[in-house]
Amino acid sequence: MAGLLELEGLRRSFGSLTALDDLTFSVPGGQVVGFLGPNGAGKTTTMRAVFGLTDLDGGAVRWNGQPVGQAERRRFGYMPEERGLYPAMRVGEQLEYLGRLHGMAPADARRAGEGWLERLGIAERVQDKVEELSHGNQQRVQLAAALLHGPQLLVLDEPLAGLDPSGIDAIGRVLVEQARSGCCVLFSSHQLDQVEDLCESVAIIDHGRLVVVGRVDDLATSGPRRLVVRVEGDRDGLWTRDLAGVTISEVAGGEVRLVLDDTVDSDAVLRAAMAAGTVTEFVFARRRLSEVFREALA
Amino acid sequence: MTFVVVLIALAVIGGVRVVLRTRRRRDATPHQPTHLPSASWLGDAGLVAAREVRERVRGRIFRVGTLLILAVVACAIVIPTLIHSTPQPERVGVVGHLPAALRSTVATAAKSVGTTVHFVDEPDAAAARTQLHAGRLDLVLVDGQDLVVNQPISTTDTSTMAQFVAATARTLGVAKALADAHLTPVQSSALSHAKPLPVHSLQPGTTKSKVNTTAVIGLILIFLMLTQYNTWILMGVMEEKSSRVIEVLLAAIKPIQLLSGKVLGIGLVAFGQAALVVAVALVLGAAVGSDLLHGSAPLVLVSTLVWLVLGYSFYCWVYAAAGSMAERQDQVQSLALPLSLPILFGYVIAITAASSGDASPLLKVLGYLPLTAPFAMPVLVGLSAVTWWQFMASAAISVVCTVWVARVATSVYRRAILRTGRRVRLREVFARAA
Repeated sequence: MAGLLELEGLRRSFGSLTALDDLTFSVPGGQVVGFLGPNGAGKTTTMRAVFGLTDLDGGAVRWNGQPVGQAERRRFGYMPEERGLYPAMRVGEQLEYLGRLHGMAPADARRAGEGWLERLGIAERVQDKVEELSHGNQQRVQLAAALLHGPQLLVLDEPLAGLDPSGIDAIGRVLVEQARSGCCVLFSSHQLDQVEDLCESVAIIDHGRLVVVGRVDDLATSGPRRLVVRVEGDRDGLWTRDLAGVTISEVAGGEVRLVLDDTVDSDAVLRAAMAAGTVTEFVFARRRLSEVFREALA
Repeated sequence: MTFVVVLIALAVIGGVRVVLRTRRRRDATPHQPTHLPSASWLGDAGLVAAREVRERVRGRIFRVGTLLILAVVACAIVIPTLIHSTPQPERVGVVGHLPAALRSTVATAAKSVGTTVHFVDEPDAAAARTQLHAGRLDLVLVDGQDLVVNQPISTTDTSTMAQFVAATARTLGVAKALADAHLTPVQSSALSHAKPLPVHSLQPGTTKSKVNTTAVIGLILIFLMLTQYNTWILMGVMEEKSSRVIEVLLAAIKPIQLLSGKVLGIGLVAFGQAALVVAVALVLGAAVGSDLLHGSAPLVLVSTLVWLVLGYSFYCWVYAAAGSMAERQDQVQSLALPLSLPILFGYVIAITAASSGDASPLLKVLGYLPLTAPFAMPVLVGLSAVTWWQFMASAAISVVCTVWVARVATSVYRRAILRTGRRVRLREVFARAA
C-alpha cells in the first residue's frame, strides 16, 4: 500500500508575491512527515497544489511516479486549514456523503463514518448538526472525513490547532497508526514539540523554498554539541556571557540550552556554571526540532 | 413539453445509474471501503444533486413556501369559481297550458341572464300563489299570459331573479306579439331563438380574459421560483465557499461536477415544486369547474412549465458564477441586485401585458431574449400572439445562449470559488484566465 508523493519544482506566484519557489521534496509511505515553516511560507499553497486546488505556474505533483489526477485524489484524504464542513448538515450524513464522493458504497461510507466517530470518541454526536459541535469535536469530524475512505495519502493542514491535550493525543495516535499501516502522512503544524513526537521526518520551507528536509533523528544528532544546564540563582544563563564559542539557544523555566563550538571544552563550561551557583543539571542533549527550525530560518 | 420530458428522463437515468452502481459496489465488497477507478460525470454530479434535493426538501423554508404557493393557487382557482358559480335554477310555477315552444323561450330568457329554469306544474292558481308566497317558487306563469311574483320588482333591481323576470316578461311579450301576428309556434320559436350575428374585431386577443388570468398565475409562479431557486444557488455556492467545505469537495471531484450537481439538484426541486403546483391546480380546477383551466389555458400552463425550466437553466449558471465570487452575506446582496433587474423588468412588462391583453411590440421583442423570454413567451402564448415556430425559435435561442452562459459561468466558478479573503472581481478572474 505504501506510496510515494513527490513534489518537484513547484512554482506559484500571486501577483508580486512568490508563494512557491521551485519547491521540491517527497513524502514516503509509512512515515509521518511534518511540514513546517513560518506563517506565509507556502505550506498551505503546497498542500492545496497536491489536490489541484491552486493552479501551479510550474512543477509537478506525482504519486508513485505518475501525475496526480482526479482518480488519484479520490484516494487521498485532505483536512484543510480552515475546516470545511456543511454547518447545518448532520454529522453522520455528512461523512457518508463525503465518503461516497470518494467512491465508497453508501453502506461502507456509513459504517466507516460511524467507526471513525467511535474511534475519535464522538459516536453519540452522529445525529447532531456540525454547527452544534465544539471546535474540538468539529476537528474530529473533519479528521474522520479525511480518513473514512482509507486514504493512501493523508494531507492535514494544522490538524492540531486549537485542540486540548487529549485531542492532540487522540489525533496524534491516529496519524501514527495510519503511517504504520502504510499510509503516507504529511501534516503541517506550528506546535513543534508535537511534531517532534509524532514525525519521523520533517520538511521546513521558507518563502516557498525548501530549507531543511530529513529524518528527525538525523537532524537531532547533527550540528554542534548542545548542553542543557540549570544553575540555581541564574535562571537566564547570564553566567555564559564571558564564555567564548558558547551561545544560548533557548531559555525556558531556568533551563538554559547552549550550543558549543567545536573548540569549546565542556569542562570549562561546567566550571563556569559551578562558579555562578549550584549546578542542578548539566547534560549533553539532542538538537530540538524547535532549534532546527530556528536555525534553518536564521 | 419536450424539454420537460427530457429533464425527467435525465433524472430517471441518473437515478438508475446511481442505484445500479451502488448495488454493484455493495455486492463487490460488503465490508471494505471501495474505490472506483474513475467516477462517471453523472455519478458524482448525481451524488451532489441528491444531497441538494434531500437537504432542500427537508428545509422548513421549502415546506412552508410550497404550502403558501399551493394556498395562493388554490385561492386563485376556487374564489373566482365561488363568485361566478352557477346560480340555483329559477323555479317557475306553470298554471294551465304552456306550450313547449314557450317553455323553450322562457329557458332562453333564463340563459340570457346567466341562470337556468325549473318548471313546476301547479294544479291551479291558488296553489301556485301559496307556493309563491312560501318562497318555493320564484315566478308563476298563468296560461302563458300572466306573470305573478311574490314581491314587486324595482326597475333598478339587478338581481338574477329580477333580470330573469324582466327577460321572461319581455320574451313572452314578443312571443304573444308574434302569435297575434298569426305566426305558427315554429316560426315564433325560430324568431325567439335567432342567433346574434358575429362581431369581428380588428385586434386579436380581446376575448382572452380567462387565459390571461392563467398566464398571470403562471407568471407569478415563474417569478417566485426563479427568484427563490436562483437565490438558493447564489447562497448555496457562497456558503460552500465561506465554510471552506468547497476545498474538501474539490479535493474529490471536479468543479464542473460539483456545480452541475448543485444546479441539477436545486432545479429538480424547483421543477418538482412547480409540477406539484400545476398538478394541484389542474385537479382543483377540474374539481370545481374553474374556467381558468379551459380553452387554451392548459397550453399556457405547459408553456409556463417549459419556460420555467428554460429560465432556470439560463439563470442558474449566472447566479452560481456570482455566488462563487462572494464570501459574505453583504457581498451576495450587492451581487444579487443587478442580477434581479432583468427578471424584474421582464416580469413587470409581461404581467402588464397579460393584464391588459395587449401583445405590445416590446413584449414580442422580449420574447426572444433569454433574459426576459421566460416571462414574455408564456404571455404571448396566452394571447395567441405567437406561432409555434416562433415559440420554438425563442426556445432554441434560449438553449444556445444557456450553453454559452454555462461555459463562461463554469470558467468563472472554477477560477473564483477558491479565492478567499475578499470579493473577487470579474476582471481578476478573466485576467487570470488570460
